[in-house]
Amino acid sequence: MSATYVYGLVGADARLPEDLKGLGPSGRVSTIAHGEVAAIVGDVPVDRPIGTRDDLLAHEAVVDAVAATTAVLPMRFPAVVESDGVVEELIAPHHDHFVDVLDALDGKVQFTLKGRYEQDVVLAELVEEDPEIRALQEKVRELPEDASYYDRVRLGELVVTALEERRDDEGERLVQRLEPFAAEVVAHRPGQPDDVVNAAFLVERARIGEFEDTVEDTGRDLAGRVRLRLLGPLAPYDFVPEG
Amino acid sequence: MTVATQRQGGGYVERGGGGSSSLADVVELILDKGLVIDVFVRVSLVGIEILTIDARIVVASVDTFLRFAEATNRLDLYGKGKGGKDLTELVEGVTEGGARGKTTGMLDAAVDKVGDMLGGGREEREPEREEAPRRRPARQRAREREE
Repeated sequence: MSATYVYGLVGADARLPEDLKGLGPSGRVSTIAHGEVAAIVGDVPVDRPIGTRDDLLAHEAVVDAVAATTAVLPMRFPAVVESDGVVEELIAPHHDHFVDVLDALDGKVQFTLKGRYEQDVVLAELVEEDPEIRALQEKVRELPEDASYYDRVRLGELVVTALEERRDDEGERLVQRLEPFAAEVVAHRPGQPDDVVNAAFLVERARIGEFEDTVEDTGRDLAGRVRLRLLGPLAPYDFVPEG
Repeated sequence: MTVATQRQGGGYVERGGGGSSSLADVVELILDKGLVIDVFVRVSLVGIEILTIDARIVVASVDTFLRFAEATNRLDLYGKGKGGKDLTELVEGVTEGGARGKTTGMLDAAVDKVGDMLGGGREEREPEREEAPRRRPARQRAREREE
């Protein structure tokens, strides 16, 4: 029994980019088609466990390179099946479902937008506007470090709470501004208190230009206060239907 | 990659993705996302070992508080002390770079940590605060932090 790595699924008529490099020892990436669906497959390293950082990066690079030109349904990393099972167990039993999902994703790509506050600028706003934070900051500054521990924790808690309230508000407005250019949006909760936004947008290829221009305009409006980062075009990781 | 054009344009927004993403971005983008089919469950039969990966950057609450307290206190190093200072001074302070260096350092550290987890294949499970609803009342969040 041998194993095959599956990166994702595409339409059977899709053509893969030429220079894909997979995570297996051969590095080769090809497709196995059945009906209207094809699995993007490669070999599997046998002398080590799968799941290293290079494996993760290779999976993403392959899936996103394919997504740049054609609709792809990404597999959850890492995805290994028995070689015999690619058609019989993976594609055949779910063929019609895969066709539906690929149809729904056809002509669309994901962009992920992340934003982070320019920390000092926004912290200064908080100090300015919140008397409690300002008072505590002054108190902490006058105490030796050992004696100020609990005040520092409290100060940090106040700052974090205020930051999160602010970013929930600003993050939502940011998403609203871009929403009209996307077919679907998924807003994730940002990871750090000074992260403003972490949202995935499913954008029609024909509207990529408009979307990118609006992100750029938004970035210009927020310059000096929020730093925006736009990832994409990507495979529709956040828009894969459950089940 | 001819269809999707990367605009160079104005440059107010940093670009990434499509194979040029950082490890931290990739981790956040693709872990726990994507299609799952029941055939994957039987993979152990093939004799391939798969590492369980669940790298989350979760900083303990108190550490987060202390970090932001420090960042808030540091503000005054650029200013005149009591009260506030105007935005121009602040922006200058930022571009002079002391604070920025610090933040970047912490980010790098977080990335290294994720890298270690992936590289070493350590198993981590820390489901809190992930995929939570976007808007919650402040009080609820405060309670979570106390846990």
